[in-house]
Amino acid sequence: MAAAAAGGEGPGGDSDGGSEELVLTPAQLIRSLEQAWLNEKFAPELLESKPEIVECVVEQLDHMEANLKRAKRGDLKVSIHRMEIERIRYVLSSYLRCRLVKIEKFFPHVLEKEKSRAEGEPSILSPEEFAFAKEYMANTEIYLKNVALKHMPPNLQKVALLKSVPRPNLDSFVFLRVLERQENILVEPETDEQR
Amino acid sequence: MFISDCRREFYDVIVSQRVLLLVASDVDALCACKILQALFQCDHVQYTLVPVSGWQELETAFLEHKDQFKYFVLINCGANVDLLEILQPEEDTFFFVCDSHRPINVVNVYNDTQVKLLVKQDDDLDVPTYDDIFRDEEDEEEDSENESDGLEPSEKRRRFEEDVIERTMKRRQRREWEARRREILFDYEQYEYHGTSSAMVMFDLAWIMSKDLNDMLWWAIVGLTDQWVQDKITQMKYVTDIGILQRHVSRHNHRNEDEENSLSIDCMRIAFEYDLRLALYQHWSLYESLCNTSYTSASLKLWSVQGQKRLQEFLADMGLPLRQVKQKFNSMDMSLKENLREMIEESANKFGMKDLRIQTFSIHFGFKNKFSASDIVYATVSLMENIEKEGPETTNFIKALDSLSRGNLDKLHQGLDLAKKQLRAIQQTVASCICTNLVISQGPFLYCSLMEGTPDVKLFSKPVSLCLLSKYLLKSFVCSTKNKRCKLLPLVMAAPMDVERGTVIMVGIPPETESSDKKNFFGRAFEKAADSTNSRTLHNHFDMSIIELKTEDRSKFLDALISLLS
Amino acid sequence: MAGERAVGLVRELRGATGGNLPPFRAEGLRQALEEMRALYERNQADVSEAKSGRTDLIFLIRFRHCCLLRNQRCILAYLYDRLLRIRALRWEYGSVLPNTIQFHMSAEEVEWFSRYKKSLATYMRSVGGEEGLDLTQDIKPPKSLYIEVRCLRDYGEFEIDDGTTVLLKKNSQHFLPRWKCEQLIRQGVLEHILL
Repeated sequence: MAAAAAGGEGPGGDSDGGSEELVLTPAQLIRSLEQAWLNEKFAPELLESKPEIVECVVEQLDHMEANLKRAKRGDLKVSIHRMEIERIRYVLSSYLRCRLVKIEKFFPHVLEKEKSRAEGEPSILSPEEFAFAKEYMANTEIYLKNVALKHMPPNLQKVALLKSVPRPNLDSFVFLRVLERQENILVEPETDEQR
Repeated sequence: MFISDCRREFYDVIVSQRVLLLVASDVDALCACKILQALFQCDHVQYTLVPVSGWQELETAFLEHKDQFKYFVLINCGANVDLLEILQPEEDTFFFVCDSHRPINVVNVYNDTQVKLLVKQDDDLDVPTYDDIFRDEEDEEEDSENESDGLEPSEKRRRFEEDVIERTMKRRQRREWEARRREILFDYEQYEYHGTSSAMVMFDLAWIMSKDLNDMLWWAIVGLTDQWVQDKITQMKYVTDIGILQRHVSRHNHRNEDEENSLSIDCMRIAFEYDLRLALYQHWSLYESLCNTSYTSASLKLWSVQGQKRLQEFLADMGLPLRQVKQKFNSMDMSLKENLREMIEESANKFGMKDLRIQTFSIHFGFKNKFSASDIVYATVSLMENIEKEGPETTNFIKALDSLSRGNLDKLHQGLDLAKKQLRAIQQTVASCICTNLVISQGPFLYCSLMEGTPDVKLFSKPVSLCLLSKYLLKSFVCSTKNKRCKLLPLVMAAPMDVERGTVIMVGIPPETESSDKKNFFGRAFEKAADSTNSRTLHNHFDMSIIELKTEDRSKFLDALISLLS
Repeated sequence: MAGERAVGLVRELRGATGGNLPPFRAEGLRQALEEMRALYERNQADVSEAKSGRTDLIFLIRFRHCCLLRNQRCILAYLYDRLLRIRALRWEYGSVLPNTIQFHMSAEEVEWFSRYKKSLATYMRSVGGEEGLDLTQDIKPPKSLYIEVRCLRDYGEFEIDDGTTVLLKKNSQHFLPRWKCEQLIRQGVLEHILL
């Protein structure tokens, strides 16, 4: 991966606020971004948020841009590195977009899950995503109330969003890639009751 | 000024800049444009492409874009006029002109800074030397007055007389120089002709940079073939240029000889062909092609009954049954197609057609797709001058440009169909003109005018179509007439252009002779005739021998032209 | 038949395929709400009757209640689905919607849209470095740095970078950086030419 050569000075990968200080090389960083991206794309529900990866990748991109600004114009390496920047930016955007789509689609469940999260459990929403989700929910609730609900009969003016908005289908099929050899994983055969 | 090192003085200069491409509306320009676009995309040169069909569009495009670009590349336009005078650019604007129009305007040649000409030096250019046309303004007034102070009166008068004599001599010298200058310039600019195809120049640039591809080579071939189809270059130049391209073709396409390393059938390959000079014959029937190619039609005089009989004899001589010959070429019996070229050549010799075969190239990719270079030229011309679609002219340009890419076969096939219609229309018009004696001799030239209401006359309101018609008509006329003097005359042809605005399009073409040097004097002649009669003319086209004229002014314009050329 | 109005709204929306946004049926909504009010009032009347002995009305009351619930569900579905389509418009057209589409939106929908826009903008700004990361760009994986585009209609001047502008006139062709053209390609001003 060219990312290893492009950034050059400094491994940009300090994990933020985690208890383990993990120093990733740029190549490892991009690989973990790609892995998070693929997982997010294939999973039906919103997965754990990875703010450290996002932040480090953004830092890495800024770093590469700054390097390129200093480079000589017309150099072949410039085009290749710029292409790399665009690819990484695409992966990052796609990852964040995928998450936003899920947040908007399942907004009551996502917020509920976050509210009932136990201490020490990793969060599925970054602080910014949490703010966004709350705004989205408020925006939609206010709209529905003003346009329809408040004109309805008194006993129907509330609607349970948790029940109305569909929840992610945790029974949908997903692709798996085995990373390490594991023993004794039981995949239960489909019974008649399961769809 | 002429650029000697195309790579360093042109390409390396613009590779890090943004460039505006102004491309004329002819096939050679389109091909050159494609090659240059391919190079630019390879090197990430940001550019904008604007098609222009005449001087007005060129000026408009320049005015619109001059604030955003400093580097302009003009393809097949701009060499034959004083560019800086017309466009009035800022001092930091640069023009790179790759144009096959000749003669190159002397101001463009001798401008050191802003106008750079991408022209091959071995084109016989005959540019007048600098001193013959430019002269620094000398101070005519000698400072003799100062000298004459402090002198005695008699000496003063003598000095005064000497000064007068000197000044008179200088003035006479100056007048002589100016007369000679006018003569030189007149000789230089009198005849228009064409130099090396711009597509070939661009290909050369690509080759120098080792970035040439087979695709680009094909475009160069099409550009050259366009010059040949439109009769813009001499036979000798054509053969020379074919030789040059042949070397490149062998270099790119030799892999098929080696059985082991030959390319897949889907890869594009170019082959040299000593092919029949019959237009579109592989996409038509042999019969149609024979009828609609100017060479055969004129030689056999196919507009007359005897001509038709001669055609039958010709086919019989070759042993080709009519039924076979009238069906699509691809469906003809293989046994007949095998030695077709040699057979036709042999029979053609008997019937007075010695040049039925011509050196050219063809392109193959996949099993179905085989095209000769002239096929592509005809198809692209028809697409560019397509009258069927409404909309701005640039749409046709874009379509024609697209059809040159191998991925757009549907557009190419559409072009081929349009080309067949066009060729048929040309032949029918030629036949009717000859039969109704529409071509009349005006003294110094032949004249033919198409009336409104003639079938397909709309097709001929476009410059290239009208030129093709004129050339075919002249060829046929020369074969049909018995008047020896008329055979050597040039032709002026007129057709209605825009009925609402009452304009006519007029072209002048040089005489049809064996060793014609294709030099055309009608450009200047039209200008002078228009001036002297105050006719309302529009010399918008890059070829000066094509003009627009108000219908009412036509007769007085013609009269002036006749008296000018007698 | 009770509930026709509301179901009609939903049906019309379902017929608008491809994410199209048909005009907002304010009248239809009002009538559905009106119907709900009428049903409720009749129910109120009947409940007091039932309380004073007429138990045969209970089924009718229950039936009307079901109609009310159905109406509520249809109305909310109609409004919510429209919100989802409007949300998609932000991602497709950008933050300024064409007039033709705005005509089809109610005032409250426009309000919802502008709040959504703002919320999204805040989120995007918080994500990537100093300038934020525009997630509405880079929708497709980048294939090359520069692309050939053709102008489909007169657009005027367009700025590319560091002040240089390009004049976009119909049928002119340009070779420009890919990421600059994305927006205009989506709007239908430019067409990507493949060679």
